Amino acid sequence: MLKVITCFKWVIDEADVKVDASSRRLILDRVGYKISLYDRNAIEEAALLQEKHGASIVAVTVAPPTAKQCLKDALSRGADKACFVNDPSLVDLEPTQTAALLAAAIKGQGDFDLILCGEGSSDLYTQQVGPILAEKLGIPCGTYVNKLTVIEGEKRVIAERKLDDCVEIVSIQLPALVTVLPDINTPRIPTLKQVLAAGKKPVDNITLDKLESPSEPGLETTSILGATMERRRLKFGAEAENIRAAVGALLKEGVIT
Amino acid sequence: MDFELTQEQKTIRDTAAQFVKHELEPIAAELDQTKNREKLKGILKKLADLGFMGLNVDRKYGGTAAGTVAFSLAMTELGRACASTTVTTSVTNMVAEVIQVVGSEPLREKYIPSLCNGEFAAGGFALTEAGAGSDPAAMRMSAVLDGDHWVLNGQKLFISSAEFAGVFVVWAVSDKEARKGKGISCFLVEPSFPGLRIGKEEKKLGQLASPTNELICDNCLVPKENLLGVPNDGFRIAAAELAGGRIGIGSMSLGIGLAAMDFARDYVKEQARLDLPAFRRRGADRMLADNTTRLAGARFLLLRAAFLKDQKTFYAKEASMAKVYATEAANQACHDAMEILGDYGYTQDCPVERFYRDVRVTSIYEGTSEIQRLIIARELLR
Repeated sequence: MLKVITCFKWVIDEADVKVDASSRRLILDRVGYKISLYDRNAIEEAALLQEKHGASIVAVTVAPPTAKQCLKDALSRGADKACFVNDPSLVDLEPTQTAALLAAAIKGQGDFDLILCGEGSSDLYTQQVGPILAEKLGIPCGTYVNKLTVIEGEKRVIAERKLDDCVEIVSIQLPALVTVLPDINTPRIPTLKQVLAAGKKPVDNITLDKLESPSEPGLETTSILGATMERRRLKFGAEAENIRAAVGALLKEGVIT
Repeated sequence: MDFELTQEQKTIRDTAAQFVKHELEPIAAELDQTKNREKLKGILKKLADLGFMGLNVDRKYGGTAAGTVAFSLAMTELGRACASTTVTTSVTNMVAEVIQVVGSEPLREKYIPSLCNGEFAAGGFALTEAGAGSDPAAMRMSAVLDGDHWVLNGQKLFISSAEFAGVFVVWAVSDKEARKGKGISCFLVEPSFPGLRIGKEEKKLGQLASPTNELICDNCLVPKENLLGVPNDGFRIAAAELAGGRIGIGSMSLGIGLAAMDFARDYVKEQARLDLPAFRRRGADRMLADNTTRLAGARFLLLRAAFLKDQKTFYAKEASMAKVYATEAANQACHDAMEILGDYGYTQDCPVERFYRDVRVTSIYEGTSEIQRLIIARELLR
């Protein structure tokens, strides 16, 4: 039976982020959280493999303890077990830190065949965690995958990588790590029975004292500001002089030069 | 006193909300305008797959066994997007439930799983007749036992989902000599039974995606074992069943009212940014506050009725109170939302136009507001 590990990130639902009009500061006090979009595709792909080939699925995440509800979400989407690396300090991690913690947690899970990750997270979208994690575990990595086929009995997968100008089809020896694009599947909404059963599935709680604490961050975030659109509410007619006025207004705003 | 929902109830509410956001809301206007029945059936199947067709039905029959509070929460969430889909879901749930409550074991095993898993697109509830709407005991459809079959003759009116229901609960007079209401029996009728015909489709004001038809029994042959419960006890079944249905309809209307208010609120917020005149703004503020308060009250009444039903205590009065209050509050909310939105709210580009049409019938079907008041008063004066 295939042993699949899916990694996911619990992120702010971007639909809930508001921007303060004057300071452009992000207002995050009423935001909801969700499993990062492409990570949902990764979990769904694991669930599809489970239906087709039979597979055990462990969902792994790194987060502060307050993110506990993410486990039920992941478990209701098909994972058999969740692995929750948590500590209050685990917020705003850099990709290298996240990957190091995931690698340590995954090593503790014993043998595995395939690790599935989303191509990038809905919040930062650095696209780095998957490849760094593969490197840390010393396994091959296929990125930008929008179709995945497991060759039964051969311990390998065929992956279609959607690149800028072509589709590359590669054969990857297992164990391996694959990062998926949203085209690979359409994540299903969990059924009520799955959601209700999720609460009864096992969770590995891994606190930092069981792992090495993450390395110091290498980046410093100086500010995060929202993009704003200001409306000038100027109105112009279609006559010639109005067109001149419109062009004048655009010049004045610096939209055209 | 604990106002907190259980984790399970929250989960069901949130799953319904997710379904609304991703599946139902995007197509609700289209369902209404095109009356595309195949698309409606598709969405009903998805709801069944998720477990929404047997919310208060045992797992052994394919239900979710989540209880009435969860049922109420789910109907409210679905009601925010599409009343047609929600009323079909509510009625199907009630049909599955009545079979579980009064049906024999073979009937349960035969019909409930198909209702829960979506093999049947919907269940039908055939009580109303011309001249026997608010007074169902005045029904004239007759049932006569002839050997192994009951022979049904008569005509039912305003039957939701008749076009594609997999099974109908049908009431008919089986003892003509009995006192009014004492000689009615209840039957499970499949659309394929000889003598059953689907009559003309009604042209309605709202809930256009859900078909409503006549159901005609012309020497319709129903196997003897398809009698639901005890002979001549059908009226009691109907009364009990309708009380549960009222929680569903009230909860749905709450969803419609909330959706209308949400839309109006967002519009006012947007307009406030664009310098809405102060006199209009104050009127809108008041309407938003009053309606939101009434809808919050409606929610408490509904959840209390649902809670009492789950406790297996008497809840008919509470269900009627919840239904009359919620549906009237929702009607007012849709009216006021349109008032706030002005001309825009009156166009089909605005969902409130649909909410306004859809909500109207909620204070009419499954017992009109006046019938609810009658039930409440009767309980008070008992």
